[in-house]
Amino acid sequence: MNQGLAVEATGVSKTFGSVRAVDDITIRVAEGEVYGVLGPNGAGKTTFLRMLFGLIRPDAGTIRILGRTWDESGVAVLDEVAGFIESPRFYPYLTGRQNLEGLALLDGGHPPGLLEEVLEVVEMDDRADERVGGYSYGMRQRLGVAASLLRTPRLLVLDEPANGLDPAGIRDMRSLVKRLADSGLTVLLSSHDMDEVEEICDNVTIMKRGTVAFHGTIAHLRTMAPQPGHVLATTDDVRALELAHQHPALRVARDPEAALVVTGARPAVSAYVATLVRADIDLLAFNQTQTPLEALFFMLTDDTAHQTLARPVEPTTVPR
Amino acid sequence: MSATTNAPVATAGTTPGARTRPGLVAPLRWEIRKLRAQLRAKAVLIGALVLPVVVVVVIHGQSRPPKDTLFGRFATVNGFALALLILGFAAQWVLPLLTAVVAGDIFAGEDQHGTWKTVLTRSTSRARLFWAKTLTAAGFAAIVLAVLAASTIASSVLIVGHEPLTGLSGQTIPAAEALRLVAVSWATMLPPMLGFTCLAILLSVWSRNPAVGIAGPVVIGMVMQLVGALGGVEAVRPFLLSTPFEAWHGLLADPRFTGPLLDGLLTSAVWCALSLTAAFTLLRRRDITGG
Repeated sequence: MNQGLAVEATGVSKTFGSVRAVDDITIRVAEGEVYGVLGPNGAGKTTFLRMLFGLIRPDAGTIRILGRTWDESGVAVLDEVAGFIESPRFYPYLTGRQNLEGLALLDGGHPPGLLEEVLEVVEMDDRADERVGGYSYGMRQRLGVAASLLRTPRLLVLDEPANGLDPAGIRDMRSLVKRLADSGLTVLLSSHDMDEVEEICDNVTIMKRGTVAFHGTIAHLRTMAPQPGHVLATTDDVRALELAHQHPALRVARDPEAALVVTGARPAVSAYVATLVRADIDLLAFNQTQTPLEALFFMLTDDTAHQTLARPVEPTTVPR
Repeated sequence: MSATTNAPVATAGTTPGARTRPGLVAPLRWEIRKLRAQLRAKAVLIGALVLPVVVVVVIHGQSRPPKDTLFGRFATVNGFALALLILGFAAQWVLPLLTAVVAGDIFAGEDQHGTWKTVLTRSTSRARLFWAKTLTAAGFAAIVLAVLAASTIASSVLIVGHEPLTGLSGQTIPAAEALRLVAVSWATMLPPMLGFTCLAILLSVWSRNPAVGIAGPVVIGMVMQLVGALGGVEAVRPFLLSTPFEAWHGLLADPRFTGPLLDGLLTSAVWCALSLTAAFTLLRRRDITGG
């Protein structure tokens, strides 16, 4: 066992019927880091997290959590581990507080004051005495985080925590996860949103159809990313296209919808825009099509994309 | 949640990992707490308390007693006979239903609410959760039987009367002895009722569907009674879970015989053991892919 690893999953596989949901994946999460497991729906992220929690038994491979395995330690493997899989679910006929009290019972109780404190952290203290059946999706997500914090974990596992939330809820959830990470928690979160992972995580594993398409640091991922693309609409696209010849570092093309698609580094794009302005060509629209990491994500996980990029990279951990 | 950026992260003076793993009592308390909050369980208990009174009043008001039924001949004039008449009726499908309402839902309800992943990611093992749920369902079965029996006996005796009872062999049983025998007869329902509880648990775990867990034991119980009533199946009858429901008849005969009670106890125990073993194995091996 490697010291300092919160999660060490080696050669883990799981098959459901004829579907290989997870295929020989290896993931190592260092203590104290925020680690993202990224992938499109059906990539195997949730199956992997379910195996961490012992909800699903792997067909092959070993999973060591904070140095313990299910075979050796049984349910004790979950000591100091908390989180939720997919959307957190509670008993709708009980209040939020009653749900938390009950879950704390299953943990062997909780220190005095902790329940109120976690409710305050997720800002549910004023709604805690309402039945969960009346909660919104976002409130249940927050109650899920509260239920996790009740376990005073060292490792927090969150499965798409911002899924289904409105923009304000997404912002607040990310903010909460970042604060939890800053407090020293190891956070392992799954997502299909590149922005979320880029904003929160130090290291990432990108999964595709049950296999690892990439793992390494976000910084390393950025170096692999393609140039950003922009859609440009002007008052004179024909002339704008001619002026593009002055900027050989850029690739400018006309798309079927009569806009210009400009690909290249940001300074070159800025210089090109300045050229257009000097030539009295007005800009009608200027939008980034995808962030570079989004583009890379699609390349790594889309079967029709460049396979040369989809190579596993040795994990590099970033201590916080 | 807009102000969470300034809220403190929970610590409450605790250190991560300092956790006492709960035994069986904690999940048992949790299951009981959940059960007490469920409207369905309260409705069953209230029904078990109130409905016998209504039935007693209605039968007492009948001009013609149901003579074709066991103890029916004296049901309108003798409270003990009426309590036994109701017992015979309850054993047909009411008792399996009353216990299945909770036992058939107690595991499948977790699937229905999607909460397996919530409880199984805490510090309580599947085995402890299994036994906590099983004990809760069994406890509920015992309580609902006690409430139903007490309500039936009390209302029958108070409304219809407590004259000496004529036994199955035509003997006269003094009132005090009749009361004791009626109470014991009701108590003999517990083993087969627990058998149906365990059967409901098995169906609940296997089907992951509360409707199957609740209706299944009732249907199976009625089929067993049908099979038991057929001729030429004497070899099968002792193994049917419905047979122990009739074991109390020997208490009201002269001389008394208790062999069927012991056989019924054994049959119920075997059904309990088989059902729970199968249910436990299913739950332990199950991959929680949903809920």
